[in-house]
Amino acid sequence: MASEPPSSARKVVVHLRATGDAPILKQAKFKIAGTDKFAKVIDFLRRQLHRETLFVYVNSAFSPNPDELVIDLYTNFGFDGKLVVNYACSMAWG
Amino acid sequence: MMDRGTKAQKYVWEGAIPLQIHLHESEVTTLPPPSPALILAPRIGYLPLLVPQIKPFFSSSLPPGVDTVWFEYKGLPLKWYLPTGVLFDILCAKPERPWNLTVHFRGYPGSILTPCESEDNVKWSFINSLKEAAYIINGNCKNIMNMSQSDQVELWNSVVNGNLEAFIRVSSKLKLGIGGDEFSDKLSSLKSPQSATETDNTGLVKTGRIPVRLYVCSIHENFDDLEDAPHIDSWDKISYINRPVDVLGEEKSSTNEDISGAEVGDESRSPSEHGSNTGTAEEVGETLCRQEGSDSLSDKAEIKLLRIQGIKPKLEIPFAWVVNNLINPEHFLHICVYVRVLEPITI
Repeated sequence: MASEPPSSARKVVVHLRATGDAPILKQAKFKIAGTDKFAKVIDFLRRQLHRETLFVYVNSAFSPNPDELVIDLYTNFGFDGKLVVNYACSMAWG
Repeated sequence: MMDRGTKAQKYVWEGAIPLQIHLHESEVTTLPPPSPALILAPRIGYLPLLVPQIKPFFSSSLPPGVDTVWFEYKGLPLKWYLPTGVLFDILCAKPERPWNLTVHFRGYPGSILTPCESEDNVKWSFINSLKEAAYIINGNCKNIMNMSQSDQVELWNSVVNGNLEAFIRVSSKLKLGIGGDEFSDKLSSLKSPQSATETDNTGLVKTGRIPVRLYVCSIHENFDDLEDAPHIDSWDKISYINRPVDVLGEEKSSTNEDISGAEVGDESRSPSEHGSNTGTAEEVGETLCRQEGSDSLSDKAEIKLLRIQGIKPKLEIPFAWVVNNLINPEHFLHICVYVRVLEPITI
């Protein structure tokens, strides 16, 4: 996920949190370019957890559209300098 | 007394785009080819929900295989999670009636569109947008999460069926209103207290944040006639911004002009402008130019077109009225804008 975006691109700190019986990642904090779409976070999780079906939420509240920009999500829903993303293997908040 | 919604809300819910849907030629296996399907698509609805109506027109003509339905306008695959009215407002500068779309049942463009296999995908997207809106308005989405199963079903069905009364019945329990606005209050005070034809406007404008989805098409060419507006052949040409707008209380009721100026100014994505309520055309121009990277030479940005629910709102209208009457069922206000930005002169 730590690709090589131009240094001018604003990076967002994403904190990945497991929910329910989802496996906990060894490394849970990442930086991602604000101009990337949320789909990149979802794809990253899928690869890391080797699971196609994942439910991914922000602030344990809702699932953003994969086309949303990370910077918008951070601006609207981030706090303490990070965006909290929860992931589950089954629907956690239906 | 049962609330049936304001007149404006009824117009919005009854609003529809006439579609003429053609089956893509690569999927036509019969002679003569099937005639296009003529469908009225609700503005506040979503294209995949029309598939059950559309499929019978074409099913006998399709090649063998599994259906993976997607729509396209002049080569641009259409994002299925955008309300139909929004797609029409941003992609058709000059409204095309009927709107000629192409439907595909095969070859889903997975690199451009997120998957949509059934109505469930659309419902999931809708409910999550509603939760996102609730989070923006109330700081949490408990009200949505605590909805009973039957309420959730009724809410979704009211959107699918375009039933405003049923929608109001369920959504009023969700406490997502921003309160009254001066416009509606003046209107209802002219009528007798018994004829409560307006929504539950309490007369108090409470402060809060309004969920807004802004779609900006920046163009460099000038055009006077909407017909000459450049064709959008890629989603890269549309800047999508998800940024709430702060509504201040009674001391300052913002007009549309303030908001549209601030919203377009937010395109620069600088955090200090987040939620700003003031914005003159001059400031908009400056921020847009900074964003476009042209520092000193160009100094003009011009809003060529601004549409909400297909309407070009008068800029003096109180923003609160716009919110109360023109939001979509998931409680987002979708604003489509064409902005002309002058290119710097290269020497």
